[in-house]
Amino acid sequence: MTQLLLFNVTNGLIIGTFYVLMALGLSLILNLSNVINFAHGGFLVVGGYIAYSITPYVGFWGALLIAPFITAAIGLAVEWVLIRPLYGRDPLYSLLLTFGLAFILEDGTRFIWGAQGKPVTVPAFLAQPLSYDLFFITGYRLFMVAMVAISVALLFVLLRYTRLGIRIRAGTLDLETVAALGINVRVLRSLNFSVGVFLAGLSGVLAAGQLGLEPTMGSGLLMPSFVAIIVGGVGSLPGTLLGGLLIGVASGVTAVFFPQASEAVIYVMMAVVLLIRPRGLLGEEGMMT
Amino acid sequence: MTSGTYSHNFSRRTVLKGAVALGGLQVASPFIIQARGETPLRIGMVDPMTGVYAAVASNEVHGAQLAVEQINAKGGVLGRPIELLVEDSANDVGTGVQKTRKLIERDQVSFIIGDVNSGIAQAMAQVTAEKRVLHIVSGGHTDGITGKDCKWNVYRVCNTTRMEANSISDLLFTKYGKKWHFITPDYAFGHTLQEACAENLKKLGGTVTGNELTPLGTSDFSAYLIKARTARPDVLLLLVQGSDMVNCLKQIVQFGIDKQIHVAGTQQELESLLALPPEARIGVWMFEWYWKQPNTPHLTEFVADIRKRTGGKVPTARTWFGYTSLYSLALVANREKTLDSVKLALALGDFELPAEVKLQPNKVYYRKGDHQLMTSAFVGEALSKAAGDPEDLFRVDTIVAGDQTSPAVSETGCTLQWPA
Repeated sequence: MTQLLLFNVTNGLIIGTFYVLMALGLSLILNLSNVINFAHGGFLVVGGYIAYSITPYVGFWGALLIAPFITAAIGLAVEWVLIRPLYGRDPLYSLLLTFGLAFILEDGTRFIWGAQGKPVTVPAFLAQPLSYDLFFITGYRLFMVAMVAISVALLFVLLRYTRLGIRIRAGTLDLETVAALGINVRVLRSLNFSVGVFLAGLSGVLAAGQLGLEPTMGSGLLMPSFVAIIVGGVGSLPGTLLGGLLIGVASGVTAVFFPQASEAVIYVMMAVVLLIRPRGLLGEEGMMT
Repeated sequence: MTSGTYSHNFSRRTVLKGAVALGGLQVASPFIIQARGETPLRIGMVDPMTGVYAAVASNEVHGAQLAVEQINAKGGVLGRPIELLVEDSANDVGTGVQKTRKLIERDQVSFIIGDVNSGIAQAMAQVTAEKRVLHIVSGGHTDGITGKDCKWNVYRVCNTTRMEANSISDLLFTKYGKKWHFITPDYAFGHTLQEACAENLKKLGGTVTGNELTPLGTSDFSAYLIKARTARPDVLLLLVQGSDMVNCLKQIVQFGIDKQIHVAGTQQELESLLALPPEARIGVWMFEWYWKQPNTPHLTEFVADIRKRTGGKVPTARTWFGYTSLYSLALVANREKTLDSVKLALALGDFELPAEVKLQPNKVYYRKGDHQLMTSAFVGEALSKAAGDPEDLFRVDTIVAGDQTSPAVSETGCTLQWPA
């Protein structure tokens, strides 16, 4: 039983890292632009399908590199045309818009690529388990963890040491003052949105290698990411990181004792956190009032 | 908290509203009518055109549409052309019921077909029985539909879960071993299928090492697979369907579990095999119908007609379900020369499908006692390398007649109550 538990804790951490990647993009957009981006799962799917379409020409590695940038460009266009006009309004407007956009992206992918799922093949050397005993740690899963770690590290470097990152962090705390200092907030929001969508696109390419592609896969992966943000704390990227890992582990451990509750447990966690510490584990006071 | 162009005026309440709305995303669906015209005889079809079963549902619709086209070309039903109205249940019981009511009450359909999802099909049956509309369940497998919850107006084309289990249990036991572990979808279909397999295993003298109930739409099966491998069974039986089957099989192969434990299951579908990479197309399964059979009359024409409609794709079992459901209604109505539901429901009992509709070697007929179609099981093995045609991904070893896989009517728990 101890071995089974340890296996599932490790496995939960691996799953959690994926939620982290999704949730970080979601969190970036929410923190700066005040937009709860329900279409994030849709952008994930778009990223996966773009990678699927360009793989025959550029290979797996080329698709991994290019598809997130194309997705980010689509995200930028969406922000420009649809979301920007709603910034001054009640957040419910952008919530409803992205809610509808999620449908459009899902049905759009179904229209273009069909309802039938698509297989995605990863390089053979990644598709093997590490050892007989640690069969659940495959090369691809380790690669996913590494990609998430690199992305998180780059994101933190971007936010801490670059002018853009410092402005985003400042804007997260007080956007009006940032605007008053002469910084072009429109451009800042657009760039921030496209970075968030870039992470969704990257998640999509990585998920496609693990799960294959289906137009509906985004909505299933979005909800845990949303929970990760609430558990970790709105406004806190380290909180999002912690939240993602925690829900992954909770889900994995629950699968040992009560498999049918492995999905429900993350929502129970969310409810408990909201009751005991409404701002989330590492959330900042005032972000969740 | 102030409001203004740049202010952070979202609150916990807003975030929670968002969470509720996202929950709604799972059940909400666009309102879809795929066909509407002035033709007098309307048949309603409710299937999950969006969601995890969208691929199989759209194939059912393709089959039904082909049947409509062929029947209309031969003069329709009682001289009237058929109009097929397709509604999306979005894989949600409430939506399925609402769409069924809408089709009957507002669109005045004469018959209903659907759903792929067992839970929705059962809920729809309550509505059609209340409204006295003849209803053919095309693709919902749970036993109750033609078992303890059977209704005078409800017939079913696809196999019951009991038939599926009976078609393959003996083979798996003798070929692979006596310790079985299940990965089961946590809803009506999965429960009854697992119970049937476990009961067969018990009769054969085997043991169940575990049963992992997985939520519908699970994307990561690793936690369940860790548990299953730790139990060290002889056979790992996958009872999940759709994208769950694809995700589960992919992860089994990635973890190398297929090299240590035999992987098999009951119902497998071409839609799932097509979504799998070659290395993950493994295991012994049963298909409910397969497009490649030697010497079956009219099959070649059917495959060619479907290819024309689907851009070259072959028909799947789901295509045949849709085709057969619609043809059954038209054939019996033309034979009885009436659209009266009670008369047609009585007439469908023991109704045998003609060769151009059954498209398989054995006798295929609706059983009078429980309204279940006695259709064959195509038992065989998934092919990692396509046999010629890129969509030929299954090797059929035996075709077992429905009479041999189905329990006797007395064992189904079905007691039909006819209206006065």
